Amino acid sequence: MGSSEVALPAASNRWRIAAAALAVVVLAVYPLVAPNAYLLYVAVFALMYMALATSWNIMGGLTGYISLGHSAFFGLGAYITGLAVTRGSLPHLPMAVVAGLVVGVLAIGIGYVALRVRGASFVIVTIALVYMFNLLAQGWRSLTGGSTGLRVPVIGDLSRMQVHTLFFYMFALMLVLVMATWWFIDRSKLGMGLKAIREDEDKAQALGVPTNAYKITAFAISAGFTALGGGLYAAWFNALDPVFVFSIIIGANMVLMSLLGGVRHLLGPVLGAVIVVPATEYFLVQLGETQIHLVATGLLLAFVVLVMPDGIIPAIAALRRRRDPPASSIRESAAGAATPQEVTP
Amino acid sequence: MTFFATTGLRRTFGGVVAVDDASVELREGRINGLIGPNGSGKTTFFNLVTGMIAPDAGEVVFRDRSIAGHAPHRIARSGIGRTFQVTRVFPRMTALQNLLVAVRRVGLSELLRSAVRGPEVARAEQWLERVGLEHLRNAEARSLSYGQQKLLELAGAMMGDPKLVLLDEPAGGINPVMIERISALVKELNAEDRTFLVVEHNMDMVMSTCDHVIVFDRGRPIATGTPAQVQADARVLEAYLGV
Repeated sequence: MGSSEVALPAASNRWRIAAAALAVVVLAVYPLVAPNAYLLYVAVFALMYMALATSWNIMGGLTGYISLGHSAFFGLGAYITGLAVTRGSLPHLPMAVVAGLVVGVLAIGIGYVALRVRGASFVIVTIALVYMFNLLAQGWRSLTGGSTGLRVPVIGDLSRMQVHTLFFYMFALMLVLVMATWWFIDRSKLGMGLKAIREDEDKAQALGVPTNAYKITAFAISAGFTALGGGLYAAWFNALDPVFVFSIIIGANMVLMSLLGGVRHLLGPVLGAVIVVPATEYFLVQLGETQIHLVATGLLLAFVVLVMPDGIIPAIAALRRRRDPPASSIRESAAGAATPQEVTP
Repeated sequence: MTFFATTGLRRTFGGVVAVDDASVELREGRINGLIGPNGSGKTTFFNLVTGMIAPDAGEVVFRDRSIAGHAPHRIARSGIGRTFQVTRVFPRMTALQNLLVAVRRVGLSELLRSAVRGPEVARAEQWLERVGLEHLRNAEARSLSYGQQKLLELAGAMMGDPKLVLLDEPAGGINPVMIERISALVKELNAEDRTFLVVEHNMDMVMSTCDHVIVFDRGRPIATGTPAQVQADARVLEAYLGV
């Protein structure tokens, strides 16, 4: 019996390599050719959300456990980094990494409790998590600065444009790292177990999958990366507002972006962020700095759920399949033999 | 050595006693049938043995070790595989991926092992070939017919390399050709040193495939023996026909 990986057509592989090369070139060059600081800022914001949504998708996409509370991990990462820099005079970037690791470990304990429930109950538990940390950040004034927030010093002696450029590359690096992690998990035995949990958790257990351990592992990795994103945000943005960093909106955005692109695909959350971030910025510019732009986000979410419940990438794939010639049959042969037959269109 | 035995197994749901003081012993190497009227506690018995639900009382021993109350994944890895009454496959995973879910060992290296190439994939392909589904390797399980899903589920259970296999109505809802195919497979696998406990309402299949039959009624065994002995047992006729 031969090896067992599904071989992609050579043409498809060539397209993928060309697209990846183009993406690398765009990422490398964009900060150098960005016409102004605002457009560079939007690009950094988009990259941040691409990385965050892909981090979320390690848990949400692979296991089907929808966490609306990932902003708790984002905020924790931001505050741990911000406090280490402001109170401990420690370096920004290493502290963002430390924050990711600390929150990853913390998420093992949180996951142990939160993942005892499934479905809507899990969603509610994660929302409660955000409010808990929000209250903590606002209430512990002596440490966090309370509702006035925390000012984080600018990294080095850089200009605003240089800071945007630096963090453009930092978030790009994080995106590559988190995508590589998702890809690796997706192809591993762990990933197979996580996907089985998404499909039928009890059945997965009956096949020997230690579902709790698998879910907690995915939750911790996902939370750790989200906190790393929060840490980078603190070092980049320099101002932490507890109402923003611990808001449901950040978590909901990660979910929306992943759903829009397609949660079962590596590029789904990336595509979602590419659409949602510029769209949000556009609505902000058009409608002003009010919360009304959130209505547009809500409408987009409703559109996705109604028209493309599996996201854009699966919808395109389905359209392509409809155009392709029929594949071999999946019907049983009458004699019980495994003979492929043609499908009736 | 005790291969498999339950003692005083009991489970109630509210006021309903689903399994009541059930003591069952299975000898290694047999194909055992578990029959009884609807609601007699057969599936609950399966769920208790495999840890899907916890018993209120009683003991389950498998290969000299107590497994009562253990988590389902631990019981599965100890060597008990099962299928479900209403076939359960992972619908949006391919046939091959369905087989690759089974976990035989735990540990970090096992978690990080590739699921797209290597010996485990080759093993899964061998099982697909054995149940006649190799041509559907990359088809999503939801697109398979019900009979094919039954075969896929059986192959998935075998990926865990179980010594005792619990089949819950393997002939339910499928055509006679497929029933014969599943019967033949069970006999083949039994010849390879695997013990079976088969819940089934299709008496032709039970009588032609099983070499030992246990009859359940009201949550407990009322008769055991060869198919011929059980068929002639007055208690069994009473349980089924009320005569």
